[in-house]
Amino acid sequence: MPDDQPKGPGGGAWDSTQWHEVQKGETLSKIAQKYYGDPSLYTKIFEANKDSIKDPNLIRIGQKLRIP
Amino acid sequence: MLRKTSRMALVILACGLAVGCGKYKRLADTAIKTADTAVASAGDDVAKYAADQWKQITDSVASAKDSYAKGDYKAAIASLQDIGPKIQAAQAAASAKKTELENAWTNLSAGVPQMIDAIKSRVDILSSSKKLPKGMDKAQVESARSGLDAATSAWTSAQEAFKSGNLTGAIAKANGVKDQAVQIMQSLGMTPPPAAAPAAK
Repeated sequence: MPDDQPKGPGGGAWDSTQWHEVQKGETLSKIAQKYYGDPSLYTKIFEANKDSIKDPNLIRIGQKLRIP
Repeated sequence: MLRKTSRMALVILACGLAVGCGKYKRLADTAIKTADTAVASAGDDVAKYAADQWKQITDSVASAKDSYAKGDYKAAIASLQDIGPKIQAAQAAASAKKTELENAWTNLSAGVPQMIDAIKSRVDILSSSKKLPKGMDKAQVESARSGLDAATSAWTSAQEAFKSGNLTGAIAKANGVKDQAVQIMQSLGMTPPPAAAPAAK
């Protein structure tokens, strides 16, 4: 089961945003596979994180991503 | 002569009693009228939010009227002895309860829609997914979808209850939606927000 953590930047007590902290070797496709079962849905994660990701191929370890 | 004196004493005694009774009757009458006015002007919130205290007050008034009808004016007065402070205490309790419920509603109405939105987003994505994540099957997603529909509808109902002034009902419904949303989120592997955790008992 995915392990979303709603403790991202600026989250309040009711913040229901689901977060994922990027681990070594992960790509948006792998993360999409983990949460949605379908790597092609990486675009959903990219769209939700456009404020912090400019290039979907460039994510960094420790980066916190919203998982819609 | 003695018989005449005794008769007069009896008349005086009877008059005294009558005067005494008349005094208590007037006092009881005034007390009941005053209590009726105070009860009528106490406001609907007291009956709504301090129901137990309100029942004691209306029971006291009913008891006073009952005693009055039976001619027991002293008992009628006694029933209403501290009705004023009781009404004031009930008004204060009702006001505090209403504020507490309004705060609870503000809190829930800020949080529950966020939970519903997060679930909807995840269910929409999972529904379009060619495969599902490990440990999840199509039935779970379908169940989450129908749970989401029910929660959305129940939330609308909670909002309607709030708009109609049924604060207690609105909060009960909103708490139901919150609990349902927590279950759906957990079934989808999502983490509910900390504020949605069940209240400690």
